[in-house]
Amino acid sequence: MNDEALINKINEGLKDKVVAVTNPAPRRIFFKVNADNLLSAVNWLKDELGITHLSTISGVDLGQSFELLYHFANNYCALTLQTEIPHEHPVLPSICELIPGAILYERELQDMFGIVVNNIPDSRPLILPDDWPAGNYPLRKDWKYERPTEVIPGGKS
Amino acid sequence: MSFEIPIGPQHPALKEPVGVRVTVDGEIIREADLRLGYNHRGVEKLAEQKTWIQNIYLMERICGICSHSHATCYVQGVEKLMEIEPPKRGLYIRILVSELERVHSHLLWLGVAGHEAGFDSFFMYVWRDREIVMDILETISGNRVHYAINTIGGVRRDLNELQIKHILESLEVLRQRSAYYQKLGTTEPSFVARLAGVGYLSKEDAIALCAVGPTLRASGVPMDVRKDDPYAVYDEVPFEVCTADTCDVLGRTVVRIKELMQSYNIIEYLLKNLPAGPIAVRPPRKAKPNEVVSRYEAPRGENIHYIKSNGSDKPERLKVRAPTLANYAATIKMLKNGFIADVPLIFAAIDPCICCAERSVAIVDARSQKETVVTMSSLGQLSLKNTNYKARKREAEWPL
Repeated sequence: MNDEALINKINEGLKDKVVAVTNPAPRRIFFKVNADNLLSAVNWLKDELGITHLSTISGVDLGQSFELLYHFANNYCALTLQTEIPHEHPVLPSICELIPGAILYERELQDMFGIVVNNIPDSRPLILPDDWPAGNYPLRKDWKYERPTEVIPGGKS
Repeated sequence: MSFEIPIGPQHPALKEPVGVRVTVDGEIIREADLRLGYNHRGVEKLAEQKTWIQNIYLMERICGICSHSHATCYVQGVEKLMEIEPPKRGLYIRILVSELERVHSHLLWLGVAGHEAGFDSFFMYVWRDREIVMDILETISGNRVHYAINTIGGVRRDLNELQIKHILESLEVLRQRSAYYQKLGTTEPSFVARLAGVGYLSKEDAIALCAVGPTLRASGVPMDVRKDDPYAVYDEVPFEVCTADTCDVLGRTVVRIKELMQSYNIIEYLLKNLPAGPIAVRPPRKAKPNEVVSRYEAPRGENIHYIKSNGSDKPERLKVRAPTLANYAATIKMLKNGFIADVPLIFAAIDPCICCAERSVAIVDARSQKETVVTMSSLGQLSLKNTNYKARKREAEWPL
């Protein structure tokens, strides 16, 4: 297997669903699909290419939109499936039915970016504490940390 | 009657404090649930505010055992972004340190496995020999834990002939001792009986739950980033991917012992073929807008960093996924239908942490919600009692 053969397979298999394919370095392939086609693309990867190992899901805040990167890997290369969703309406389908190991990464996305993952089997917060104020998503670019003023119970003596 | 038992969050057997809530039916675990985030330090957010060089030190401090793994994974990604090629000698030294780190991490694990299985003399022997590796690392880098050997474009310290001679001599001792532990394991029936069949994770589950590292390889999946996606100089170093097919804690032990032997060979090869020349090149201060996926085989498994640059001297986004997180989903699967006394052993099998302090387990009565705190030592006693009373698998074979 080589990069070119893989890219050809992706172009043939997913046809017009693929928005762009890049190959910036040997054994690294990035390809982009629309969020509506995400599930069918993951399904295709799993069934046709036999890629079942999801390394992680990265989220990037681009200002107007969120970019999601699903890092897949097989015994030859690291394949990254990119998709973009609007900032005002961040909704994403869950891929847990296809890849059960994705659950922790999807919960992390919900915590850190405030992305709503539809059909997620377990939607509790993963990393943030239980008393974390609602609507605060730390990895969004417009979120700034402000240290809360310290309140000493009973006042200073 | 079923009980719900919270274990942690200050759990001993894991690197990070983690809360595990297990529902037990008698001694059998029926449900397990994880609560993370007790040690969340916001490293990814912090990294966006620091320069490329400053981030090396931040990345190194993600972990106290595989500190070199995160630093290397980050540095090799940034080198791709900056389009620089580190010199061969620099890469050899970098990989030498990463293999030494693997040896120290696996020896540490082996000791803890011995301890959790109730074989404390094994633990003490292994940890005595782990000092040899720590000493080697100290002679190379000047530090025992955070080696700080990486820099963007190469490494920061060179090796001399005297050091190479010292490492090769020490390596001979380590080889002999490891061979002895291998033999000891083969002829120690109670040790094998304690580990065999515990924490079963089938091949299909390991693949579906995206497990990594020795946990995955012990379930018979030969996946190793060093072989699949060779970074640095792994494409010219001869070594084998070690697997086992027992799918249990015994298999994970076997995989780690075999990997120790492979690491000794790699270290010897690297030292004997160390090329001459400079050890680092000067990096630019800024990186062009681009993105890179960097993968690294840490002692615990695949480590992946996604780095996006925006043309400035700071990263736009730095995503870190440590191997332990990838193994959590598999851990839940392993705990289910196991014995409560096997919890420490199963957790230890993923890879434990050295900086563990207090160990306690609170038992909550599901009906009265009354909590009793049990110390780890009494849980250990329970574990010993459990193995004493259970029918032993005397015919269990050490699959080496």
